[in-house]
Amino acid sequence: MSRSAVEIILRAELRAWRNRITKGNTVRVVGLALFVFLAAIVFGGSLFGIAFAAGEALPSARDAILAGAFTALSVMMLVVGFPSVIASYFAGRDLMQLILAPVRTSEIFLARSLFAMSANTLVAALFLTFIVGLGAGSGASPLYYLLALVLVVIQVLLISALQVNFMAAVLRWVPARIARDVALAVASATGAGLYLLWNLTIRQSFTAIKRRPDFSNLVSTLQRLDWLPSAWPGHALSGLINGDAGLALGWTALTLVLAAALTISAALLYERTLLAGLGLAGSASPGLAIARKDWIVYRRDIRRLSRFLPALIFLVAYAFVLVRPSNGVDVFWSDVFIVAFVSFFTSMLFATTSIPSERRGFQLLRLAPITSRELIRTKVLFTLAPILVLTLGITLVSSVIGGDGPAKTAQVAVLALWLGLGCVCIGVSAGAIDPRFESPDDRRMVGVLGTLAAMGGELGFGLLSIGAFALLQLAQQLASGTGGFGYLPATPLMAAVVAVVAVLLAAAGAGVVALMLWTANSRLGSFEGSITTA
Amino acid sequence: MSMGSGSTAVEARSLVKRYGMVLAVEGVSFQVPRGEIFGFLGANGAGKTTTLRMLCGLIKPTSGTALIDGFDVFTQPLEAKARLGYLDEEPFVHPHLTGREFLDFIADLYRMPRGPERQQRMERLLGLFELADRGELIGAYSHGMKQKIGLASLLIREPSVLLLDEPTNGLDPRSARLVKDLLEELAARGTTVLLSTHILEVAQALCRRIAIIDRGRLVATGTVDELRAQTGSAQATLEDLFLRLTAGPESRELIDRLLEPQR
Repeated sequence: MSRSAVEIILRAELRAWRNRITKGNTVRVVGLALFVFLAAIVFGGSLFGIAFAAGEALPSARDAILAGAFTALSVMMLVVGFPSVIASYFAGRDLMQLILAPVRTSEIFLARSLFAMSANTLVAALFLTFIVGLGAGSGASPLYYLLALVLVVIQVLLISALQVNFMAAVLRWVPARIARDVALAVASATGAGLYLLWNLTIRQSFTAIKRRPDFSNLVSTLQRLDWLPSAWPGHALSGLINGDAGLALGWTALTLVLAAALTISAALLYERTLLAGLGLAGSASPGLAIARKDWIVYRRDIRRLSRFLPALIFLVAYAFVLVRPSNGVDVFWSDVFIVAFVSFFTSMLFATTSIPSERRGFQLLRLAPITSRELIRTKVLFTLAPILVLTLGITLVSSVIGGDGPAKTAQVAVLALWLGLGCVCIGVSAGAIDPRFESPDDRRMVGVLGTLAAMGGELGFGLLSIGAFALLQLAQQLASGTGGFGYLPATPLMAAVVAVVAVLLAAAGAGVVALMLWTANSRLGSFEGSITTA
Repeated sequence: MSMGSGSTAVEARSLVKRYGMVLAVEGVSFQVPRGEIFGFLGANGAGKTTTLRMLCGLIKPTSGTALIDGFDVFTQPLEAKARLGYLDEEPFVHPHLTGREFLDFIADLYRMPRGPERQQRMERLLGLFELADRGELIGAYSHGMKQKIGLASLLIREPSVLLLDEPTNGLDPRSARLVKDLLEELAARGTTVLLSTHILEVAQALCRRIAIIDRGRLVATGTVDELRAQTGSAQATLEDLFLRLTAGPESRELIDRLLEPQR
């Protein structure tokens, strides 16, 4: 039988991998191997020890621990393994060669699966020591270890397939290279987040009297998650420990069916999305092209990053200082202040320079068949996304910590959306009204007129918006008869009048935004400078 | 209004550009038929770049009309710009993109459908201009390489009209020759090229007709033979014609006067 395409690709990849190791710096390779070996012993040993103790000491919590452990494994693989899956299946430049060769997409899918799943497999291998430890601590039968191995392999397959399915949806809007960068950032952020979450979960139940950690809080959290499909393999193993073979078989079968369904769906969707992921399919959109270019340029422009990052750190730090309500200020109004502060600050930071940062490349946009309205819209949308994420993130954290409750948190979130959108529109417009395309310094990319327009516009819009928001709160209180304001009687009629005034204020705020956008559009349309330096 | 079906690809109708008291371009009119390479010559500051920028829509004329394939650049900008490719003397590029990323950006900006065909075209152009293996950012390119990537960014989308301001500026002899051959090939396939250059031998070799602009005014338009007839010098080279039609004699006198004390 002649060698199949899968075998040929796989051999080439293995050879490349072997060459990377053998032809690299020997000292570095040995050092790396030693580090991996020691890390495996330390981490694997620790996991084994913890699981062994838990299996022995907490017989009633075995099911919850196993279910939680498989869920944790799934989350870890989802986060850590994403960059590998994207790089192997969607973003590698060597994929281009495979596409041009007479190879079926399904064969590429199969052949690349080994390396796509490499990160997931590494995480799972480490995790297997925990499962083995728990089995040993629980006195499980040999069948337990065999089933554990099978279930971990299935889980790796299942999560990898889920990642491909997810990418198939994401790649409709985002190119694979950007998705990989985002996945890497999410992986590092999630790692820190999980560590923090773990600490918070344990610390809440530490007591000085017992002088040892109380896991009841953690166990009850895990029990609330045991319906998740990621917990099914844990239930299967737990069934086996308890001698219930039927239960073990049932959960294993369910896991297997789910993994098979997701794998088939992944293989089918991969055929459709491979070209899109490599940027070889799909419609071309000038708006997306500008956004994509901005994303690449933002990361590479060290000068901008070096000014932007300290400002961002200052913003986050200052916002979190404000999270603690000061004496006499209601938590809710403290949150409103944070929303306003973050919206204004971030829009001045990101949005005002959005158009001037095109520098000489702005002439390319003027030559292209796009209108200045389209350009402003693209810039607003591209800038809005990070600002909203930042504003909403800080707002939600502040609301939750302050104990605002769901209704108040939702109101603050709506205000954050409104202020974020308005401030970004004003910021982008101000940059378009008075751009300094030739300025080598980011801080001087917007002229005095533009800076004043941004500050005046945002101040006017902010005051009108927060005024409207405050009046709506008052109208709500007047309507429910829970409170009045000075001489205002708490009647439904007065509530309606106050609400109408609030709507008028909000409309005036929207008017400020519209005026800025209109001015920006006409200024960009009439621009005809020569922009002599980059 | 005409809709791009005629034989004229580029038309300047009484273009005037005034900056305050300064009249940069004064009533420039000419037509370039489809598939022709048209030379636009003039001394520094004569108004070449301003005219080209009015034709491509970067500068709004004080009066007059610029038409590309029959579409008014200012009242029908999207239609005109979709058919037009403009290369500035200092190409407009993004210094933080690689050459490949830049071409991809331009192709998307002009709504070129994505697919293997576009990819292959991009690779062919990168190969042609010897930029395929350049992984560095455009900011690190030499002037000649920026010129090449600028040209590639026009050619990837095959516009029907090319306005080129000093396209061979900064190119090595081999690349300059490549550009000349390319322009001839493109014109043979129906692309109209309006070429502004200081290098008169390039203009003489490539252009069927030539327009000479001096102090914002068009002083002559026609083939080299027509210009010779116009100036009454049957054996004159394009350089002689250019100097005679612009500020040639005065320059000669200046040089003579400058060198006089040394003699």
